[in-house]
Amino acid sequence: MLEGKFEEASLLKKVVESIKDSVQLCNFVCSEHGITVQAVDDSRVLLVSLLIGNEVFSDYRCDRNITLGVDLKSFAKIIRCGGNDDYLTLIAEDSPDSVTLVFEDKNSDRISEYSLKLMEIDNEFLKIDDMDYDSVIKMPSIDFQKICRDLSTLSESLQILITKDSIKFMAEGETGNGSVILKPRTDIDKPEQSITVKLNNAVNSTFGLKYIADIVKGTSLSNQIVIKISNRTPALFEYKLQSGYLRFYLAPKFEDE
Amino acid sequence: MSIKKTQKKQHNFRQQSLASFFSGAKQNDKVDIKTLLSKPNPSNTSVSDSNDLSNVKIHKLSDNMIDNEQKEKILTKKDQSDNHFEPIEPQSLSKRKRTTKKDDTNSETVEKSTELLQSKRSSKSKIKTKKSKAASNKKSKKVENEDAIDISSDNESAIEINDSTEDAIDEKPAQKKRKLTRKKLVNANLDDSESDNEKINVASINETNADDTDPPEDDEMLRHNSSIHENEIKEAEELASISLEETKTKIPRFNPEDNSIPYKSICDLFQEIENESSRLKIIKLCSEFFLDVLKFDPKSLIIVVYLFINRLGPDYEGLELGLGETLLIKTITQSSGRSAANIKKDLKDIGDLGEVAQKSRVTQPAMFKPKTLDALTVFNNLKNIANSKGSNSQQKKINHITKMLTACEGNEAKFLIRSLEGKLRIGLAEKSVLVSLAQALVTFELVSDGKKSKKASAELIVKAEDKIREAFCQVPNYKTIIDKSIEYGVLKLDEHVRLSPGVPLKPMLAKPTKSISEILDRFQNEVFTCEYKYDGERAQIHLIHDNGEEKIKVFSRNSEDMSQRYPDIIDSIRGFIKKNKIGMVKSLVLDCEAVAWDRDESKILPFQVLSTRKRKDVNKEDIKVQVCIFAFDLLCLNDEPLITKSLKERRDLIEEYLNPVPGKFQLATKIDTANIDDIQGFLDSSIKDSCEGLMIKVLEGKESQYEPSKRSRNWLKLKKDYLKGIGDSLDLVVVGAYYGKGKRTGKYGGFLLASYNQQSGDYETTCKLGTGFSDEMLLQLYEKLSKLVIAQPRSYYSYDSGNAAAEPDVWFEPEVVFEVLTADLSLSPIYKAGCDTFGKGISLRFPRFIKLRDDKGSEDATSSDQLVEFYERQSSIS
Repeated sequence: MLEGKFEEASLLKKVVESIKDSVQLCNFVCSEHGITVQAVDDSRVLLVSLLIGNEVFSDYRCDRNITLGVDLKSFAKIIRCGGNDDYLTLIAEDSPDSVTLVFEDKNSDRISEYSLKLMEIDNEFLKIDDMDYDSVIKMPSIDFQKICRDLSTLSESLQILITKDSIKFMAEGETGNGSVILKPRTDIDKPEQSITVKLNNAVNSTFGLKYIADIVKGTSLSNQIVIKISNRTPALFEYKLQSGYLRFYLAPKFEDE
Repeated sequence: MSIKKTQKKQHNFRQQSLASFFSGAKQNDKVDIKTLLSKPNPSNTSVSDSNDLSNVKIHKLSDNMIDNEQKEKILTKKDQSDNHFEPIEPQSLSKRKRTTKKDDTNSETVEKSTELLQSKRSSKSKIKTKKSKAASNKKSKKVENEDAIDISSDNESAIEINDSTEDAIDEKPAQKKRKLTRKKLVNANLDDSESDNEKINVASINETNADDTDPPEDDEMLRHNSSIHENEIKEAEELASISLEETKTKIPRFNPEDNSIPYKSICDLFQEIENESSRLKIIKLCSEFFLDVLKFDPKSLIIVVYLFINRLGPDYEGLELGLGETLLIKTITQSSGRSAANIKKDLKDIGDLGEVAQKSRVTQPAMFKPKTLDALTVFNNLKNIANSKGSNSQQKKINHITKMLTACEGNEAKFLIRSLEGKLRIGLAEKSVLVSLAQALVTFELVSDGKKSKKASAELIVKAEDKIREAFCQVPNYKTIIDKSIEYGVLKLDEHVRLSPGVPLKPMLAKPTKSISEILDRFQNEVFTCEYKYDGERAQIHLIHDNGEEKIKVFSRNSEDMSQRYPDIIDSIRGFIKKNKIGMVKSLVLDCEAVAWDRDESKILPFQVLSTRKRKDVNKEDIKVQVCIFAFDLLCLNDEPLITKSLKERRDLIEEYLNPVPGKFQLATKIDTANIDDIQGFLDSSIKDSCEGLMIKVLEGKESQYEPSKRSRNWLKLKKDYLKGIGDSLDLVVVGAYYGKGKRTGKYGGFLLASYNQQSGDYETTCKLGTGFSDEMLLQLYEKLSKLVIAQPRSYYSYDSGNAAAEPDVWFEPEVVFEVLTADLSLSPIYKAGCDTFGKGISLRFPRFIKLRDDKGSEDATSSDQLVEFYERQSSIS
């Protein structure tokens, strides 16, 4: 039996909105620790890994592991039916064929209940080891979103160059080139505006902007984005939740030599 | 052996899970020889001191492997980045190679090494030879090598180099000797005391040369069958001699673990075929592959064959791919994360969507690989795609394709997309596939019989080819043929594969002639008959008796099921059987011409009227254009094939069983005469009766048998139009058009036509056409063709690309076929038809549009070879 109550429906809404364009079908795996999702996009270039820790919920109960195979497009439609401030409770049986969403309006006594049919989704779960990356940057998520959106008007690839004291985003296209350079800075008043760079090795990697565009949909989840990059390995883009995270692993592009 | 080992290692690596993708980054100390070899590093100039030859060898080796394993190259790049190992780089190697050339020491080894460089192909085969040799002779060394890999990469590459050097040297003298002797033979006289085998080799080379500049049509007609047969045997022998060089080029093609044939191995072969221009070598490659499949799993052969000819089943089942560009671009977008606009731009630059897909796929690797594709999965998916119908079918198709594309590696994406487009474009004609199939099957029989000589003799191969070809003409279904061949043996095919009602056989065709005297010459000492040649659509009518249930089907000249188009025929066919025979006819196959018929005036209407009939979902009540069937041959009666009977016997049976119904079902008007005046009179009356002319057929004896699919000299056609001009109208493919001016503004004013080169699969331009159109027709053509406009000429259009005047205003998909008359043929440098033969293209003088050939596909158009034949015949007369 799963029962998880969100203080505000908007959190789940944001989470689903930020991954529904990358993957359509995915399994929500619920355990006593919380809910995890792992899925790859159709082209298998982008991997989404989500953990909603049990502390995020105001109430959480899950006695046995339950897998909810969800079509995210339909899921998102249902979640949109609730108000942002509503309480949202997810309820599912032990071996469910549907999941129930209950929205409770905090100001009135209105309770809306929806159920979504579940699907059998074939999905192998991969254990992702932590590893050392050549460099780790942390920056305001909104800035990253803007940079990516701006540069995507020029090219379909985004090149990221990280050196000891700068981060450079570059795009080269038919119509022109663009680059944005950021320097590490610390903002004591507004720590979320800080930019930090931890560097073991200089990094030069290129990514498909289509995927980055999907990734930055997570911007609303967190003020800061953590980007971990090594040369020629998948990079990690992470939005931290109050407990848990939304991570995207993205395989870099290899340009012709 | 060590090469193999490293390859395997990479393969495993590729299939690792995401977790190991990450941890893999830390395993940089494990350096791979391929990585080393493929990484250019110009700064480093110090090379080992081994001799030049070995360097050259290594260089080629590395090149080669990169080609083969593009995908792996990408995956290993990761390794390179942190690689502290000093690589051996091809750049400096090639530098040394150049100095070798300059030295010009004339020593055998140097000469050999340049030869090596000349063709990648040969070097490939040598490496493989080397591999197999290493396997058999050097077991101890193999063990040693394998150990070495694990010890250190340094040693590994060192041993690898030594190994290949040694073997390369071993291999060369023998190879060279053979090559030299062959060359010598070609130049020298035949009376050299060389071995028989090589003699034949030369003879057949001469033979093919002779074939190329072939004798004119008239000779061809008179040439005796047996000489053609001789040619075939010679060709087969030549083929056998090719195998001397290539049989050793085996790659591990299949996956015994799950009993599957990787799609990769098929694509690699496609690539090889695409790079190969010699038809015989292509056949060799195919037949060896088929043989390997047979040895591995005979049941899979059918799927492989279908993938090779890019079909999903027999033609008459009508399942086709040929997806639109927009849809495919969408799938490439989804599987590579690139924008559609960029893909379109690439398509403009590259001209082949397959290559665009490959490029897109290669630059954006996936996080981890889905299961690699195998032949069966791909085939089933293609079938599903072709079968999906209904509201959501577009999306379903896209999903299927995207899924497959994601799993594609290297050249797989290219050929997958081309398959989906409906055209593989690797220069593999279906004819060659049939021949290869025959060889593979017959060799497989020998092998499985445990015969000592594992190579089929040339005679046997030719016999097998004949059997398969014949069987295929009767039952154009590869599955039946392969199954029966495996079950009963190729040589017994004719006993087990027989034409049967329900399965359309390829119709027999007639050769064009120009005059009655020509006919009389041809049919000297033969009994022959003349029939009207009706101007309609070929229709093969099958009455099938299936477990007490009667079914009627109508097939087109291309074996397409046209039953839907002719519900009126289907309903009335039973009425054509004589009343007293009704119970006695269970099944039959009739060869007929369906002709538009004016019921009020009881006369034949022109073909154009017939072509206005609806093609699909025809409702019997709505039919405006009535059709009359003119039957001229009976091919099967009560499940008994009649095609080996004489025409006279077949005709007698028609008359015995069938009952003409005026205006609905008639027998072709005929006259049995050898009198030139009678024939002339008959020809005139055929024209008066709105027919195209006459068909003249051998009536009795062996030559009057029905020869499926053959353009036989036993059937001649004589059209009124032939008497002037070149003897036949041509059916040419519309590949481009020019905007109309003046009265034709807003329509196309002229068209660019092309012939189909059956060898290469190219469309070769042959003339512009602007006369013979009615205003209505032009409007109709505009509506039809404007939907087929493509931004760029297809890569398989052959036209004078350097000449702006040769380019039309718009290009089309090759779909529409025009029947065209011409006064005369001439050579012109701006056209390309038949330019393999003459250097210039054959062009039509004063071409004139006759009609649209809706019943012909673009590949059934007049072939470039036919044009060459016409041209030669014309010049031999003048």
